[in-house]
Amino acid sequence: MTGQVFFTEFLKLRRSRITWLTTLAFSLMPLGCGLFMWIVREPGRAAALGLLGTKASFMGLEATWTGYIGMIIQAVGVIGLLLLSVIASYLFGREYSERTAKNMMALPIARHWFVAAKLTVAFAWFGAIIAICLAETFIVGSALGLPGLSSGIALRGAGEILLAAGVSFLLMPVTAWIATLGKGYLPPLGFAILTLVLGTVLGATGWGKWFPWSIVPLFAGTAGPRAETLAPGSLIVVFLTFAAGIAATIGQLRWSDNTQ
Amino acid sequence: MEEYAVQTRSLSKHYGDVRAVDGLDLNVHRGEIYAFLGRNGAGKTTTIRMLLGLVKPTRGEAVILGHRVIPGQSGVFRSVGYLVETATAYPNLTVEENLDIQRRLTGAPKAAVSEMVDRLRLGPYARRRAGRLSLGNLQRLALARALLHAPDLLILDEPANALDPAGIVEVRDLLRTLAAGEGTTVFLSSHILSEVAHLADRIGIVHEGRLLEELNRAQLLAKENPCVEVTTSDLDRARTLLEAIGFARLEARDGWLRIFDAPGREAEVARAIVGGGLDLRSMNTTHEDLESYFLRMTGGIES
Repeated sequence: MTGQVFFTEFLKLRRSRITWLTTLAFSLMPLGCGLFMWIVREPGRAAALGLLGTKASFMGLEATWTGYIGMIIQAVGVIGLLLLSVIASYLFGREYSERTAKNMMALPIARHWFVAAKLTVAFAWFGAIIAICLAETFIVGSALGLPGLSSGIALRGAGEILLAAGVSFLLMPVTAWIATLGKGYLPPLGFAILTLVLGTVLGATGWGKWFPWSIVPLFAGTAGPRAETLAPGSLIVVFLTFAAGIAATIGQLRWSDNTQ
Repeated sequence: MEEYAVQTRSLSKHYGDVRAVDGLDLNVHRGEIYAFLGRNGAGKTTTIRMLLGLVKPTRGEAVILGHRVIPGQSGVFRSVGYLVETATAYPNLTVEENLDIQRRLTGAPKAAVSEMVDRLRLGPYARRRAGRLSLGNLQRLALARALLHAPDLLILDEPANALDPAGIVEVRDLLRTLAAGEGTTVFLSSHILSEVAHLADRIGIVHEGRLLEELNRAQLLAKENPCVEVTTSDLDRARTLLEAIGFARLEARDGWLRIFDAPGREAEVARAIVGGGLDLRSMNTTHEDLESYFLRMTGGIES
């Protein structure tokens, strides 16, 4: 029956609008970044677009593949963290908001399997969105005819996008724990906003590389100058956060009272 | 095989100073229908949550089908079907899809879904999303989910909630059939005595977290005390007059005065009331209904 836990977690997503909404919202991102590139490349038209053009021209962007991919990494870093919070709050929080947790937790299946299954669904859901985003990034960039594409830049860009997404995913179990602790959708979303602000603020200090939610913004370049690589210490912090989040979520489901 | 399907020993749950359940000792025999009866807030749902491992006891233990319940350890629930408090389901999934998820997670055969849909008369709604069901049909779905894997023990919290009178009768018949025909033990909670009086083999009355009394059906029906009911122009004055001549078991409720030690002494009652200058508007010898007995047991009526 353990395999069925994983399968049924996917079945629970049937007819869920949130899967399509998150995919749609995230797939707009490469288009948005592409629009910025187009504006930067066409300063005359950018000026004609008023504020958007003015802002774009102030961003010091270059309409090249390097600039475009850098922008995508920034967006994946920030919006990806928020998207994962939405996914975690839906997968874990819905059981409380829809009052089905009490049904789930008296099933003849150890509760940690539900955590594993939900994280697997989250991985597949987020992974599919990132894959779409990645494909769209190259389609939009090619359609714009941006200069400077080489296989090296493409591979490195794709790798960095995947790294930013992967590190963001490793922070998700903590949000899942907040959803089980707060028993609903809203606490994890509040937590996401809090960590986004804290991550940006602490990212500007010397503590940034040790604070899990600053690590992605630092790597993406949204919390100061972009760190081209992740420090080994930062990776250890992120993996420890991942492990702690999973342990806390399992502990919460296993040992806390369900009085919903 | 264990003699008992459910046993609790000194089972207690305290939330700060509030004793939701306090020293509960229950023994539910295999194959019987046991009704756990109490008013709202009596501790019924907390007890059920502890039986299902959803809530940790502060003290004591629960044993189900011979296995001690330890929150987070799930093997014991392989043979348990349950419904906790309000009926819930995944609203984006149809009735069949909700049952299919339960089937997969309990190892029930594929045919069990359509069988339960038929048994709970959910056929017309089988492909309707649970979020669009009426409360009554949602309750049927929750019951179907509980029964899907043919459990040895059913733990049902207020199973008749939201059902119309016909639905209540259907569920009552279904539970009877399961207990009598298939040997399923049914542990159900209710706050309505009349709902369980003719269904349960035994009834445990719980109040403020404590078990007040356990009765089998014969003992329960014997509680339908004979009494004389009167209405007069002044119930308080009538009560005083009757107490003055030695009647001791009186109860005023809903414009009636009930005198439990009056059957056979109706003439004395009439003389005392009329002699005291009051109008005697009606008088008849009857039985106290079980609800009144239950309310008196749990402090809902003051004698």
